[in-house]
Amino acid sequence: MSIFAGGYAGQILFVNLTDGSIQVKPLEREFALKYIGGRGFTSRILLDEVKPGIDPYCPDNVVVIAAGTLSGTPTPSSGRLVVAAKSPMTGGIGDANSGGYWSPELKYAGFDAIVIRGTSKDPVYLWIEDGRAELRPAQHLWGQNTTETRQLLKEETGDDDIHICAIGPAGENLVRYACVVTDEEGVGGRCGIGAVIGSKKLKAVVVRGSLDVRIADPERFKKTLEDYRKTLAGEVWTETLRRLGTPNLTAHRQSHGIWGAKNFQRATIEDYEPISGENFRKKFLMKPIGCMGCLVSCKRYSAVKDGPFAGIYTVGPEYETINALAAKPYITDPAIVLRAHYLCDEYGLDEQGVGSTVAMAMELYERGLLTKEQTDGQELVFGNSEALLYFIDKIAYRKGFGDLLAEGTKIMGERLNADYYAIHIKGLEVDATDPRKQVTRALTYAVSTRGACHLRGNPYIDEFIKPEEAEAYFGTAAVSELEALEGKGKMVAWSEDWVTISDQMGLCKFAWYRSRSFPMLIKRGLELAKEAFTSATGLPMTNEKLYECGERVYNVEKLFNVRQGIGREGDYPPARFFEEELTDGPAKGCKLDRKEYDRLLDDYYEARGWDKKTGEPTPEKLRSLGLE
Amino acid sequence: MGRQRIGYFEDLQDPEHICSRCHMCELICTFHHHQVGNPKRSRIRLISLDKGVDVPVTCLNCEDAPCMNICPTGALYRPESDGMVTVKEDLCIGCAMCVNACPVGAITLDPVDGMAVKCDLCGGDPQCVDYCPANVLKLTDAERFARHRMRGFVKSLQASGEEG
Repeated sequence: MSIFAGGYAGQILFVNLTDGSIQVKPLEREFALKYIGGRGFTSRILLDEVKPGIDPYCPDNVVVIAAGTLSGTPTPSSGRLVVAAKSPMTGGIGDANSGGYWSPELKYAGFDAIVIRGTSKDPVYLWIEDGRAELRPAQHLWGQNTTETRQLLKEETGDDDIHICAIGPAGENLVRYACVVTDEEGVGGRCGIGAVIGSKKLKAVVVRGSLDVRIADPERFKKTLEDYRKTLAGEVWTETLRRLGTPNLTAHRQSHGIWGAKNFQRATIEDYEPISGENFRKKFLMKPIGCMGCLVSCKRYSAVKDGPFAGIYTVGPEYETINALAAKPYITDPAIVLRAHYLCDEYGLDEQGVGSTVAMAMELYERGLLTKEQTDGQELVFGNSEALLYFIDKIAYRKGFGDLLAEGTKIMGERLNADYYAIHIKGLEVDATDPRKQVTRALTYAVSTRGACHLRGNPYIDEFIKPEEAEAYFGTAAVSELEALEGKGKMVAWSEDWVTISDQMGLCKFAWYRSRSFPMLIKRGLELAKEAFTSATGLPMTNEKLYECGERVYNVEKLFNVRQGIGREGDYPPARFFEEELTDGPAKGCKLDRKEYDRLLDDYYEARGWDKKTGEPTPEKLRSLGLE
Repeated sequence: MGRQRIGYFEDLQDPEHICSRCHMCELICTFHHHQVGNPKRSRIRLISLDKGVDVPVTCLNCEDAPCMNICPTGALYRPESDGMVTVKEDLCIGCAMCVNACPVGAITLDPVDGMAVKCDLCGGDPQCVDYCPANVLKLTDAERFARHRMRGFVKSLQASGEEG
């Protein structure tokens, strides 16, 4: 029986793939209160378990999978999962986040987290049901795509109610940006965790649970639920997401000129309409899909009904799909984009890894830095959709030129002596947008502990915060001015800690951490999250303590990275953003200024209590967070 | 109103009014009845097939209810002549005869206490209806449900007329 009155399952599963041993340990109260769950658990366990300098593919690397604290409760949009390891992309902390139904099922099966050590000799899968676990042979699943893997597992267990987190051929073949796919709906895309799992010869983790996730104070919990529903009702954003999903952002990227198209050589897309969110809705949308208990439902269920790709049924696309597989390689046929998206899901490939690497190769080809002999005879120019589809196959199986593309932009840049064209931060490719127009966005991407990432912080607060709110929260009204730099380091640091809470709780950022009103951000992301946590778990918590838990985890991740050799130099955007101005669209002429960026980075380190030379958290900072 | 039950009122012409697979009905049902999170204790269950087919299934409240007829202890009964078939928990022996008899699988044994569980319409204010974000679950009866189906049928005729 769990020591917790609710929320937590109360147990952590330890699996050693080398000797096949399995242990169950209780989750300790102190640990839960300090790290909350999800990314808090994964990051802390990795800091303790992973030695500096190890090869990400060696048996000593550790994969930690953790459910968000609120996963499994009826808290809306709380079903998010974190899958983490030392990343083969960055060499630092690597974590991928996925929605869907897997994370709650892990709780119903009796566990808050799984720690996987060692390497199996033969392929295996991990079966977990109601507090028990076993390793089962998976030779027959090895080599299968993710959909086939799920079908075979459902047939084999005779159970269509199981939830499956699997890798595809890309993970097996150690494609550096291989992802994990949870059921039909979720993808833990970034940081190459699928490749680490592949190196361990672990094909899938399958869960089935029928245990209760208790609620400590049901009355208070119900009230929180009602409060949360009220905050959603007034949001335009909720309706937009339900109608268009994240592809609604295509209109914003186009009108602001921040696409990062053609490997960040273009800011807008000339033939934009076909790949707009509206067009994807019109042509392919069957219905919106919601993760567990989601009142928003931003995911898309799409079907291609005619043309050469008729018969594709898939969950997607996301905005990131369109950014990676349309804008970057400059392809504007939406059916091709869905086909490419479908293949990435089947092979278990991170779409951003694929789109960024192929786009970089296209630029090198057009510049004459790659020849047709090197690219398997493919005319690798922007807009060549056949080449994109051709190389998705080759990347997944590491065949021909696909073998180099499978390494990601950083290593490809080193091997081809073309670093400048590799648009990554710490080894992870820049996603989402071109940050040249907005230096705070550049800072957020660059200091992100997992490498370039738009979900590690919220640099957009200055677009809507009122001067008096800015004064109260960040000590200066200047934070409400778009152009001002003063206080922005502090604003970015604050937003990172605040967003970290969502990854600890398992809460969705779109549902909980999105609003154009600063008081609503505080209300939902901190106050209601705290209320849901306390009423579900019965543990004491205040807004201030909860915020500190976010900050603690961010510092743990920074510590991990510093120990793995990533210092201040890792916190810079790619050189192109400093050297080249945007050449088209409304942001034409924008580029980053090195002096300005340096100053902002200094301010950020100061706000964080980190050493300005090394980026290392100071002893005082660590002490204040209970991390000595 | 005739015998009440929960109906699935999708509109296949409108993507926003089709079940979005969020499982909120299951979560809120279990929370309402047991104050915990556990979809396997829910009295409404979501069935998902390939190609995006998701349908929430729950008790149809049959007139000549097989579960009620087969129950050897009289634990299943209809308190009012047109009310919902209800489980008298102290009479239920957990034999699962009702589970075998139900044509849609809407009655099951609770995985925790082993007794028969089925939809009770939350005493008249069904929580799944209240919480469904796609607004496709409604408290209904055969007449209203048939009208909904008729509307869908006529709309499809209208659509094919416009195309033709």
